Amino acid sequence: MDATAFAQETGPTITLLEVKDSPETRSVSFILSKTDLATANALRRVMIAEVPTMAIDLVEFESNTSVLTDEFLAHRLGLIPLNSEQVGTITYTRECSCQQYCPQCSVELHLNVRCTEDHTREVTTRDLVSSHTSIAPVLNGPNDRGILIAKLRKGQEINLRCIAKKGTAKEHAKWSPCAGVAFEYDPHNRLRHTTYWIEDDVKSEWPVSANGRFEPEVAEDEPFDYNAKPEAFYMTVEGTGALDPKEIVTTGLRILQAKLSLVQLLLKEIAEERGAVARPPMNGFH
Amino acid sequence: MAMTEPSYEHGTRGVPYIDGPKIVVMASDSQDPGSATFCIRNEDHTLGNALRYIIMKKCGLSFCGYSVPHPSEYQINLRIQTDGTITAVDALHQGLSDLIDLTAHVKETFTDKIKQGGYELREGADPDAE
Repeated sequence: MDATAFAQETGPTITLLEVKDSPETRSVSFILSKTDLATANALRRVMIAEVPTMAIDLVEFESNTSVLTDEFLAHRLGLIPLNSEQVGTITYTRECSCQQYCPQCSVELHLNVRCTEDHTREVTTRDLVSSHTSIAPVLNGPNDRGILIAKLRKGQEINLRCIAKKGTAKEHAKWSPCAGVAFEYDPHNRLRHTTYWIEDDVKSEWPVSANGRFEPEVAEDEPFDYNAKPEAFYMTVEGTGALDPKEIVTTGLRILQAKLSLVQLLLKEIAEERGAVARPPMNGFH
Repeated sequence: MAMTEPSYEHGTRGVPYIDGPKIVVMASDSQDPGSATFCIRNEDHTLGNALRYIIMKKCGLSFCGYSVPHPSEYQINLRIQTDGTITAVDALHQGLSDLIDLTAHVKETFTDKIKQGGYELREGADPDAE
């Protein structure tokens, strides 16, 4: 079958449901249909774990007289979402030509706060000063107080330097651009992929999800179709603020494509090495 | 004092990254070019399951399956057996092409739909949050 015909005839379709763009939630909801569980799940997995963002990876403490330990603070700093729209301009440190890290593969942030007043000083992401114009802690407008990092009493101080690097959530979840990815299929449990725990009656005890409105209800006397396969997948991608949710979806698909293209390119090399008929070797690995 | 990176043998990929070729054809007793097991390194279920599905959709395939041989080895084994009308390498190659087309198609559709609008857009304060 011709490749483009493949995409047109049986290719998946997308129905956009909702795009939320408020300080509380940034998400995109859509239905991915006419495809298989495997491909829908590949998209879900790639969005969670393989879309690169920026996150604080190294922290150097000049002084920390707060009640929190250095490693506690370092871990907290790592989990702060940084605006990663410009992540494409940054290279991975492991691929960079520098010795350790440099402006091409990292962004420096400073936190220098000392409490001099009698009341508690709250240290938030607003106190984190980035050396980059856009890669900085995510803030939702001028009224956002930022994420609380620590509280200081009089005389206590925190003075540290952070290095933010590009990475993916395969390495550490702090690099995930997704706060959550909702993934649902078959809201009426027509395929019986799940068994509900019930006291008396499924319908009264298990309310149907909001996605139930897109599919017909299962009739009382309907025979069970054991050949049926899930076809529509209801997905909601909620971002941490590091990336726009729409961006997460498109970048995820692009990364999936890139992975496949790389395998295909290298497979082609193997096939050419072995001639038209590629025969598995008889002795060990090749 | 400069901060020093904790040293990892294979860099900081966070996963037990395996060096060597990305894809190899595993040794086999069979002389049949229609059957082969491919070992794809530094890939997991994300690629494995999607590839298995798309290859299985093809005509002339008698078997396609994948496994992660060990949870701490970052690689998958993909087994393909055909009825002889197509070689295993060709089947995998076509499967990859199809999956690339499919992802390209989904990406295109998604960007088109975003451009078209017609979806519910919620800006400002979230009514659900109250």
